[in-house]
Amino acid sequence: MFGIPDPAIWVGYLLALGFTLACLVYGLLNWNNGVEGEQDGS
Amino acid sequence: MAVDTGLFVAMTLVYLVLIIGLGYLGYRRTKEDDDYMVAGRKIHPVVLALSYGATFISTSAIIGFGGVAAQLGMGMIWLTVLNIGLGIFIAFVFFGKRTRRIGHKLRAVTFPDLMGKCYGSSFMQYAAGLVIVVGMPLYTAAILIGGAQFITSTLQIPYTTALIAFAAIVALYVVLGGLIAVMYTDALQGGIMLVGMTILLVLTYIQLGGVIEAHTALAGMSNLVPDALVAGGMTGWASMPAPGSSIWLTMVTTLVLGVGIGVLAQPQLVVRFMTVKDSRALNRAVLVGGPFILMMTGVAFTVGALTNVYFYQTDGLIALAAATDGNVDTIIPNFINASMPDLFIVIFMLALLAAAMSTLSSLFHVMGTSLGFDVVRRAGTGKATMRPIRIATVVMIVISVILAFVMPGSIIARATAMFMGLCASAFLPAYAHAMYSSRPSLRAAKMSLVTGTVAWFAWTAFVHVKESAALGLSNLLFGVPAVLSAPWQDVDPLVIALPLSTAALLVGCVLDRHEVAADSEESAGAA
Repeated sequence: MFGIPDPAIWVGYLLALGFTLACLVYGLLNWNNGVEGEQDGS
Repeated sequence: MAVDTGLFVAMTLVYLVLIIGLGYLGYRRTKEDDDYMVAGRKIHPVVLALSYGATFISTSAIIGFGGVAAQLGMGMIWLTVLNIGLGIFIAFVFFGKRTRRIGHKLRAVTFPDLMGKCYGSSFMQYAAGLVIVVGMPLYTAAILIGGAQFITSTLQIPYTTALIAFAAIVALYVVLGGLIAVMYTDALQGGIMLVGMTILLVLTYIQLGGVIEAHTALAGMSNLVPDALVAGGMTGWASMPAPGSSIWLTMVTTLVLGVGIGVLAQPQLVVRFMTVKDSRALNRAVLVGGPFILMMTGVAFTVGALTNVYFYQTDGLIALAAATDGNVDTIIPNFINASMPDLFIVIFMLALLAAAMSTLSSLFHVMGTSLGFDVVRRAGTGKATMRPIRIATVVMIVISVILAFVMPGSIIARATAMFMGLCASAFLPAYAHAMYSSRPSLRAAKMSLVTGTVAWFAWTAFVHVKESAALGLSNLLFGVPAVLSAPWQDVDPLVIALPLSTAALLVGCVLDRHEVAADSEESAGAA
C-alpha cells in the first residue's frame, strides 16, 4: 500500500491518518459543546 | 545552509519584529498573576491548539527525529500515531477537560500547583516542582543547542553569539510577557511551521516523482543498509527493524513509547489546558491540533526517510553518508539546502527558528514558574508575585544556557526522549489518578512519584547503556558501563519506570483502602 511493502509501516500511516480524521470529526461534532456550566462528557 | 543571507536576514527581521510585537501585546495584557501564569484563562482555541502544537514540536522533532528517520526509516511513523492519538486526542479529550475544570476550581496556576492542590499536599507541589527544576534544564539546553547550531550554520556567526542571542531574545518576551506572550508568539510560530512543513512535503514528493514512486524507490534500497545497522536489526528504510533487535528496542521503547507516552504528562503542555475558559475551546482545539501534529512529525519522519532516495539518486549516497561529520541532525538541513528552491529554504529556516523558539519559550516559562512559585515559595519565602517568578525565570534561563555550553552537540533527540520519559515515569500515574478519582490517595501519589523518579534515574544511570556510559556512574561504582547486558541495556528507562510507578500507585491505593476498612471496623467495634 502507498508503495510501502511492510504492513507494519503502512498500518502506521493509516492509523496516523485515522487519528487525524478522528480529531477533525470530534472537533466538528463538539464544536458548540462544553460551554461553562454544561456537562463536559468526560 | 548556503542561502541568500540578505533575504533570510530581511525575513528574520520581519519575523522578529512580529514576535517582539506579540510579546509586547502579552506584556500589556499581563496585569495579574493569573495572566502571567495561565494567560488569564481566556485564550482562544486556535491559539491554544497552535501553541500546544508548537510547544510540543521543537527543532528536535523536525531536525533531530527527522534525522533519526533518515537513519532508521519510516518506522518512526508510529511516533506520529502516538503523537496524534495520545498527544492530542486522549490528552485533550480525556485529560484536558478535567485538568481545565479541576484547575479552574482549585485556582491552580502551574502543573505542580495542580498536583499539590488535588492532593492537598505541599510535598506533591514541591516534589513535582523539583523534578521540573532539575530535569527540564537538560531538555531546554538541548533545544538551545539545536537552535544555536541552526543559527550558526545559517548566518555564519559564532556558536557562542548565536546561543546567547537566541536565549536572550526568547527570554525577553517570556520574562516580561508571561504565558500570554508565550502563547501569542507560539501561535504565529505554529502558523509558520505549518506553512513550512506543508511546502516541504509537497516539494519532496514532486522532487522524487510522486508518492508511490518515492516510497517504492525507498523500499528498493534495503540492500544499501550499512552492515552495522543490519547487525543491529535494521531491515530497510520502508520496513520495521527486526522485532527484539537493538534498533527495534531503541526505536520502539525510547523513540516511540518514550516520547509518545511522555507527552501526556508534560508540565508545559498540561498548563495550557488551564488557559481556556471552557471545554468548548478544548473541543475546537482538537480539530486544529490533530492535523497540525500530522503535518509536523508525520512530514518530518516521512521526508526524513525519503532523503535516502534523494541523496542516492543525486549523489549515490544514503542519507547517513550525506550527513556532515556523521551527525544525523544535519541530514534534514543538508537535504533542504541541496534540493529546495532558495525562497523555500528561507521559509523552512524561519519554520525551524519558530519551532525552536516556541518550545524554548514554554520551557523557560514553566521552569521559572516552577522555581519561583512552586519550589521557592514552598521553601518559605511567602506569597508568590510576578517579580520573584520573573527573577526565577532568569535564573533558570542562565542555568540552561550554561548547560547548553557543556552538553554534547548531537544530543537533541536523546535529551528530548529522556525528559519525556522522566515526566511520564514521575507524573503520569499520579496525574491520571488526580484527574479521575474523586478522593485521590496522597500516599499512592507520593509512592508513585518517588518510585517513578528513582526508577527512571537508576535505569538511566546504571542500565540504559547509551546514557549510563556517558554519565559514568556505573563505571565508577561497578567498573562496567552498564550493570545489565543486552537486551536490557537497550530498553528505555520509561518502559521500566512507568510500570513501576503505576504499580506503586496501585499498591498505595490498596494500602489506603485497607486502612480505611480497618478504621471502619474499629469504629464499628467501639460502637
